[in-house]
Amino acid sequence: MRPLTGPVAERSAPRPQDRASAGTAGRAPSRVPYRVLAALAVAAGLAAWAWWLAGQPGGARLALSLSFGALFGFVLQRSRFCFYCQWRDLLVEGDPRGLLGILAALAAGVAGYAVVLGAWMPDPSGTRLPPDAHIGPVGPVLVLAGAVFGAGMAVSGSCISAHLYRLGEGSPTAPFALVGTGLGFVLGFATWNPLYLASVSEAPVIWLPRHLGYAGSLVLALTLLAALAWPLLHRLPEPAGPRPRPEPLRAVFTGRWPVWLGGLAVGAIGTLAYLRVGPLGVTAEIGGRARQAAGAAGLLPARLEGLDTFRGCATALRDAVLTPNGLFVGGLVLASFAAALAAGQFRPARPTRGQAGRGLLGGVLLGWGAMTGLGCSVGTLLSGIMAGALSGWVFGLAMFAGAAGTLWLGRRTGHLA
Amino acid sequence: MPRLPARLLALVAGILLPLTGAAAQEPAARPGAAAAKDDAKESPLVSTEWLEKNLDAKSLRIVEVSVEPGVFERGHIPGAQNVVWHTDLVDTVSRDIAGPDKFTALARRLGIDRTTTVVLYGDNNNWFAAWGAWVLAQYGLVDNVKLLDGGRRKWEAEKRPLDTRTTEVAASTFTAPAPSPALRARFGDVLAVARKERDEQILDIRSPDEFSGKVIAPPGVQELAIRAGHIPGSVNVPWAKAVNPDGTIKSPAELKALYAAAGIDGTKPIITSCRIGERSSHSWFVLSRILGYQARNYDGSWTEYGNAVGVPVVNLAGTVWGGK
Repeated sequence: MRPLTGPVAERSAPRPQDRASAGTAGRAPSRVPYRVLAALAVAAGLAAWAWWLAGQPGGARLALSLSFGALFGFVLQRSRFCFYCQWRDLLVEGDPRGLLGILAALAAGVAGYAVVLGAWMPDPSGTRLPPDAHIGPVGPVLVLAGAVFGAGMAVSGSCISAHLYRLGEGSPTAPFALVGTGLGFVLGFATWNPLYLASVSEAPVIWLPRHLGYAGSLVLALTLLAALAWPLLHRLPEPAGPRPRPEPLRAVFTGRWPVWLGGLAVGAIGTLAYLRVGPLGVTAEIGGRARQAAGAAGLLPARLEGLDTFRGCATALRDAVLTPNGLFVGGLVLASFAAALAAGQFRPARPTRGQAGRGLLGGVLLGWGAMTGLGCSVGTLLSGIMAGALSGWVFGLAMFAGAAGTLWLGRRTGHLA
Repeated sequence: MPRLPARLLALVAGILLPLTGAAAQEPAARPGAAAAKDDAKESPLVSTEWLEKNLDAKSLRIVEVSVEPGVFERGHIPGAQNVVWHTDLVDTVSRDIAGPDKFTALARRLGIDRTTTVVLYGDNNNWFAAWGAWVLAQYGLVDNVKLLDGGRRKWEAEKRPLDTRTTEVAASTFTAPAPSPALRARFGDVLAVARKERDEQILDIRSPDEFSGKVIAPPGVQELAIRAGHIPGSVNVPWAKAVNPDGTIKSPAELKALYAAAGIDGTKPIITSCRIGERSSHSWFVLSRILGYQARNYDGSWTEYGNAVGVPVVNLAGTVWGGK
């Protein structure tokens, strides 16, 4: 640990975020890296939790979920893998690198899924869908869900997965956005039945490999991603002079990763998680708990038509205290917390009224969009596109369009930066 | 009702029953199956140990029938093939088992015929694997079909190897006959027993609360019947009583004692029943294949009977519309 801790403590000693780590680890003396010790303690706690879970009957899957969640949270935090921030970087700053990272995640995941799916379902042409892959109905409701979700990203500052990793960074907006997401889910459940009967029930569930085969679907997805990347690659900023080669430990644990690296890791985690546990998704637990609470409070229709028959981030009522998705989300937040601590990026702040308001409002939009879209930027967009679902592409396009439109409007009216 | 007419009816039924589908009934009721033998060739059960040793056997087909999607794909017993119970084994439009054409295609794909040994297993205590065995039996695949004792859970608990690769087998030339009616009880059969027009026994394997009428469906399961309670004359032995804590099926002696305590000793034909007919397949398998009793499964079960108009119902709990 010496090469890491010394420079970290020195470099970040005068920065304000040290007050934060002092909050968790007492007063921070000049050379003792309490912050890093705290990060190690959280990481060790996560490992111990996974170890314990794995020893419980039927706990192997839970332990894996926790581990994948932790890995995902670490990667998101390290590479700032945030759909809205990267989109805004391109639109406002003209920097395409972040978006290229998202495309890298999709390309890696599409290839990884093709390998897994080819083994699980050698013949994709039948009537069957691959087990629990996020392949949803494609119709006007999906477009609306994506656009509203995108608007929620612009208003609250990021998507649900990014709010979760930012919760680990001490973001003042994230808690409000996540509460808002829960409320948005309840609103979504309340509006589901009319939407289902009017449109979703007749929307086709389109799985591209069924029509194109695995090779055709893979070629199509990679070609589309390349076509999207092409103009971005021509707008890369000039490199800012020769940079010193960072030490490996600092490069991994304190420096920001380039987004493409995070993207490749996300693609790999997505594939491995699908192989062993299930597709990546962060809203099943939030939605499930919101549904449980709203049901208990009598705020839900007695029956949500057809909802539990769809693929995606399932919100079916659960009895268990610990669910795979709950542990995935828990691991994500805790690992992001540990990563932020180690990097000196844990910066809690007292929320302003504006942050609280934007978080709540944006969160409601995120929640409504994720409920009616049967997942969010991770569950429907990432896991959907990786699996060859048309719904992933449609949700993604609508989401980016909704975010761009809301950002444009917000900047014109002076409400958004 | 006086006892004499019932006895008479039993006598008549006893004479008539063998005439209807005698051939198909023969294997299930064969007394030779009564003593569960250790030899895998004879026993309807195979142990996890036996299966691991015989994974490479030529004429062996291993088939997983699990409820939870994705379980098979993420790791199955090496060489196993997947059957999805709610699409492969049923007619997806009308409420029925898969018809002969559909079943023929399935059996051929799985490489199954009358000479191959088929080992079925699954999650959830082999419920759907047993249900699969019941469907296979109706198409004449009886003695060559075995259940893996303890199912998927025991295999995993013993940390035996799993595989994620796809198994390729040579297709068989099996052609399904018309399904035998002798292993399946219909609404009319059950109603005749309820009205004491026929001397058979109904074994209801649901939970005591469902049986008594306190609840219509188990916790977390949709109430699909309009009335609560049970079919008159049925006895309640929950399916789980037939298994050990590790999921293996109890010894024939224990099973005999268990059912004898409820008045079921194999002297009369038995109809097994539950909510939708899948848990009762497990008890059907125990009674028919392990104890060699003459048993039929009523797959209509409470979701058919509890919705029927004008049939006698016993509701011990006195619930009205599922409430008090």
